[in-house]
Amino acid sequence: MSRSGNRADWADDEEFDDPSALPAQQVISNKDGTKTVISYRFNDDNKKVKVTRRIKTTVVRENVNPQVAERRQWPKFGNEKGHPVGPSFDTTSVGENIVFRPSTNWKAQAKEAEKEGGEKGSIQDQLKDKKVKCRICSGEHFTARCPFKDTMAPVEESTAGGAGDTGEAEAGGLGAGKSSYVPPHMRNGGSGGGDKMGGRFEKDDLATLRVTNVSELAEEQELRDLFERFGRVTRVFLARDRETQRAKGFAFISYADRSDAESACAKLDGFGYRHLILRVEFAKRAT
Amino acid sequence: MRPILLSGHERSLTQIRFNRDGDLLFSVSKDKIVCAWWSANGERLGTYNGHQGAVWTVDVSPNTVLLATGSADNTVRLWNIKTGECVKVWDFPTAVKRVAFSPDGSKLLAVTEKRMGFLGTIAVLDINYGENLEDQAAEPSLKITCEDSKATVAGWSFPRQTGDQLLNVQVHEFDSQINDIQFSSDRTSFLTASKDKSAKLLSVRDLNILKTYTADTPLNSASITPKKDYVILGGGQAAMDVTTTSARQGKFEARFYHKIFEDEIGRVRGHFGPLNTIDVHPPSYFDFMYEVEREQMRK
Repeated sequence: MSRSGNRADWADDEEFDDPSALPAQQVISNKDGTKTVISYRFNDDNKKVKVTRRIKTTVVRENVNPQVAERRQWPKFGNEKGHPVGPSFDTTSVGENIVFRPSTNWKAQAKEAEKEGGEKGSIQDQLKDKKVKCRICSGEHFTARCPFKDTMAPVEESTAGGAGDTGEAEAGGLGAGKSSYVPPHMRNGGSGGGDKMGGRFEKDDLATLRVTNVSELAEEQELRDLFERFGRVTRVFLARDRETQRAKGFAFISYADRSDAESACAKLDGFGYRHLILRVEFAKRAT
Repeated sequence: MRPILLSGHERSLTQIRFNRDGDLLFSVSKDKIVCAWWSANGERLGTYNGHQGAVWTVDVSPNTVLLATGSADNTVRLWNIKTGECVKVWDFPTAVKRVAFSPDGSKLLAVTEKRMGFLGTIAVLDINYGENLEDQAAEPSLKITCEDSKATVAGWSFPRQTGDQLLNVQVHEFDSQINDIQFSSDRTSFLTASKDKSAKLLSVRDLNILKTYTADTPLNSASITPKKDYVILGGGQAAMDVTTTSARQGKFEARFYHKIFEDEIGRVRGHFGPLNTIDVHPPSYFDFMYEVEREQMRK
């Protein structure tokens, strides 16, 4: 034990020879204002567990009536007399999360939600009445086991027709079945020749705007509100610093429709947001 | 939204009240004690001990100095909120089912039960906020005896001095008790909650039924939200039927209705017994700040 060196007298130490002795709690303050607390405890299996917590203290200031502020100083009384400040665990607890969205057709919504929850029951139930179907010959075996694997191209899947956005992603067939892995050079029917990655994402990129010079106080929701007036926004990504959670100064906004993205780009380029002027352009595909 | 659960009582709650600033919440239950809670974090400030029977009702004076409670031990007690001491006890012949401070806090009403040959009464007591809080009038300044019906709840609108009966209207079905009335924030209308599975919004001036909200279960409490035009109803079947009813039937949920359109707009679950009492946090003290200032505060 490293602590034995600075012990004054072994007879004074109650923890001497005690196998259950736990190292003292360590508190380290980090550069970015957070604190790291390292403590030790025993878990249910009587094993020693090291718990490392990083704590960021945020002061939330609230303006209240002077009378309310005065009342905050009141000492506890009655059955609570002498108890320390702060909620005690035997009287106060936090309940389960409750979602409440007022709406006139809440009954239908609740029913739908219940149905969805029921359907998701288990993967086994979901797959119970699904059959294995080969994508090459439609036989009842896995595609990898198909006897015609090396000689025939897979048949086009009729189910892939649901998303008719651009059509080019579905053209090749092999990449269309979402469930199986397809190597990049085989996507788009092998015609892509490996020049770009992520065939499925490229149609998203067409309607994605890159926004730079964003204030570091920006919030994702604010950006969404700002950009949503031009059309349906499918994705808002605001780059944040991992340590401080502040925005890094750029964001990506994806629209469902490219024409919406175009009008947003035209209108919001040079728009004054917070204290900065936004620069909005179409995102360039990562090379 | 994660609710804070306050579990300081051993028996069912009978009434909860926020104070006017909304920072304190008072709860009373059948287990004889009265609890005060900080509404911000659910911390218990203290308890007011002294009642000998189930406490039926509680109310806070508008300046948050005095707390009044009415109990089945036939007393109304007045408490110093800050210290938890009982400053005054009034004895009545029967149990006290409802106490309420007038909007200016100068008067307190107490509704006593019709029982054991005594008629139900509404007593009005004068409240004094001087140096010595124990110096209160011993006798009620006004006593209204309800001869032809059993008074269960009462509230203040615009206090007059006479105590004459102005109107008597049957709004709910015969023989179904009204369990709660709560006023709108301007006290021109009030909401009743009745055993006949409906809540009604009545105007104070002529007791006209303005709106009716129907539920599928007996109602114990109803409240009007001051911020939005919502109405919250709570109820559930009688305690003796509780064990034979599954919580999933949705009888123990707080029901939200739109105040104007009378449509049910949602339910909040969480309880596994009937809802006895509802109170809504009062609209908070408005804190005016420019966006720039708020941003600076956030830094």
